[in-house]
Amino acid sequence: MRRVIKAAAIATAATLGLVACGGGSDSGAGGNTELELMVPSYGDKTKPYWEDLVKAFEAKNPTIKVKLEVQSWDDIYKVLDTKIQGQKAPDILELDSAGPAYGKEGLLFKADEIVSPGTLADVVPAFVESAAIDGTAYGVPTVASTRALFYNKELFTKAGIAAPPKTWDELLDSAKKISALGGGVSGYGMPLGNEEAQGETSIWAYGAGASWGDGSKITVNTPEATEALTFMKKMIDEKATQADPGATNRTPLINVFIQGKIGMITGLPPVVGQIKEKNPSLQWAIAPSPTKDGKPATLGVADYFVGFKKDGKKQEAIRKFLDFFYEKDNYVKFNDNEGFIPATKSGGEAAAAKPELKEFIAALPGAKFYPSTNPAWSTASGAFKQLVGQIQTKPAADVLKEIQAKVDAGG
Amino acid sequence: MIDPTVATAPPTKARRRKVTRESTLQALPWLAPALLLIGGVVVYPAGYMFYTSFRDISRFGTDLGWAGWDNYGKVFALGHLPRVFLNTGVWVVGVVLVSVLVSLVLAQFLNKTFPGRTVVRLAVIVPWAASVVMTSTIFVYGLDPFYGVINQFLVDTGVMAQPYGFLKNPVSGFLSSAAVAVFVSVPFTTFVILAGLQTVPGDVLEAAQIDGATKPQTYWRVVFPMLRPALAVAALINVINVFNSLPILRTMTGAIPGYDADTTTTLTFKIIQGDRQIDTASALSVINFLVVLIVIAFYLRIVRPMREV
Repeated sequence: MRRVIKAAAIATAATLGLVACGGGSDSGAGGNTELELMVPSYGDKTKPYWEDLVKAFEAKNPTIKVKLEVQSWDDIYKVLDTKIQGQKAPDILELDSAGPAYGKEGLLFKADEIVSPGTLADVVPAFVESAAIDGTAYGVPTVASTRALFYNKELFTKAGIAAPPKTWDELLDSAKKISALGGGVSGYGMPLGNEEAQGETSIWAYGAGASWGDGSKITVNTPEATEALTFMKKMIDEKATQADPGATNRTPLINVFIQGKIGMITGLPPVVGQIKEKNPSLQWAIAPSPTKDGKPATLGVADYFVGFKKDGKKQEAIRKFLDFFYEKDNYVKFNDNEGFIPATKSGGEAAAAKPELKEFIAALPGAKFYPSTNPAWSTASGAFKQLVGQIQTKPAADVLKEIQAKVDAGG
Repeated sequence: MIDPTVATAPPTKARRRKVTRESTLQALPWLAPALLLIGGVVVYPAGYMFYTSFRDISRFGTDLGWAGWDNYGKVFALGHLPRVFLNTGVWVVGVVLVSVLVSLVLAQFLNKTFPGRTVVRLAVIVPWAASVVMTSTIFVYGLDPFYGVINQFLVDTGVMAQPYGFLKNPVSGFLSSAAVAVFVSVPFTTFVILAGLQTVPGDVLEAAQIDGATKPQTYWRVVFPMLRPALAVAALINVINVFNSLPILRTMTGAIPGYDADTTTTLTFKIIQGDRQIDTASALSVINFLVVLIVIAFYLRIVRPMREV
């Protein structure tokens, strides 16, 4: 009898011990972590991609749960600001270089804290540096893109233009010839509506050698920029562009190009996929962005992952997730989906084999990035979106002055 | 037998107050959900907005402390503010006035019996049932100079020589938006007025007829005065709605550069979205809130719509 009791006691103790262990691993230090992941939507394929990735990651790491939030580019800044104000920043955020800029407020982990050294070594160094603040990188680049000139070969032939324009003067000349064809066809598509006006403006300004300042001061009101905007106005005044460029948004305008009603437009890599999908019969080609004197220059944009510090407890989980994202198969799939240029060396090799990305990769050395590690850039970018379209009716210098005033006031 | 209720002494004031308090307490469990809801979705956000308008909030949403009246100062320093206020006035008065006028006519028509009346009534209510953003987006596409059907129609019928960017110029964009605003306000207004029309008793109309009143006389002297409460409700709700209407202008004129087609509501939105100044936007919202309160107070005071007929 006594032995039975003893056995029962041991069994009970063992069970209790097991239960205690089980409880411990559920709620203890090595237990479940919930990561909030916020990403912008590049297109229809973005959300399914992330959902699949999160599922695969959770299957491999049962103790980490990932809560995915996909936001449109239109809303993501506003949602984020509200969340940060309410102390509810996501743990991992993908954003353009406005993301790393949060490092200035001490909200972020450093780049080498959120990915393993192996992953970081694979990323093209120039991209990491492009968003460093005072020499410290807070963001790990996810994708890169440059801009190039898409042109409609059929309209070029009809208008008797032999080669794509390299300089502004050639661009104006070609665009006027195409506009003269009539039938609702426009020479150059210039989107200065609030969607992405800062992009179009930057390409022109960079093409005149302008820059928007640096990490410490944003200067938009420069002679080079004035020259660029004045030429843009000339394009509008001489009817080389579509009607009312000031209020035309980029996405619908790209669709008009895809329909074959615009001779030339500045586009980014994903447009290649859009044309293939929506109007495969379009006769088109890509050329470098025309500049004032023909020297290569265009806009480069990179997006980044950043990790918000908060209480600092989730660093390990963030690192695991980001390393998983940068694993070659996952990462290549991400770039294939969206049609961007990969920011890693290993991904770049895969992309170099694709002919449609050739022009964009070739433009990388001449590409200039937004000075977006400067927090004031977000104000400048917003001001461009809202105001730059006014060059349609006002002198370019006045518009730049107005934008500069806004930047200084938002300081 | 003596009635016990008569025998008891009349309740004292204190006792009555106790009863009131008791019944209030008893009602509380039933009122609580509603009170919580009002607190959560009205009082708390409004209070938070008021609080935020006095804080200095960084571009990134970090709270940097007390700002005093700085944010209000920034709002009044905006150079385009007069134009925006003017737009707001034109927008509210114009849209509400036209909506009410159109609705008066439409309600009168729907009040008559004719074959297929139910179908027509249903058709009238559809724009109201549809999402405003959806309706506006349809017009955005319809008015597009490249592929818009409305533009195409106007060109094909020879009204215009070539497509026009209706939503790409401030004045035409603003007017087009106002037209859409009327379009989506009319159903609600019509049905409120229609409800009012149906409370007009038949014998009153009969009496007017016997007295030899002409049709217009009957309408203006008998029917219209009886519509006053319905009109009051319709106008008030419309004023609030139209004043705060963001989606139409945002969808239709959002791409226009500058602020020539903005009302205070869309300007608030632009300050958040473009300038990323939550604090200044809060200050403008508070001003917006006060303006709408004042407008309504004036309306109730001067028009006295609730006065007994």
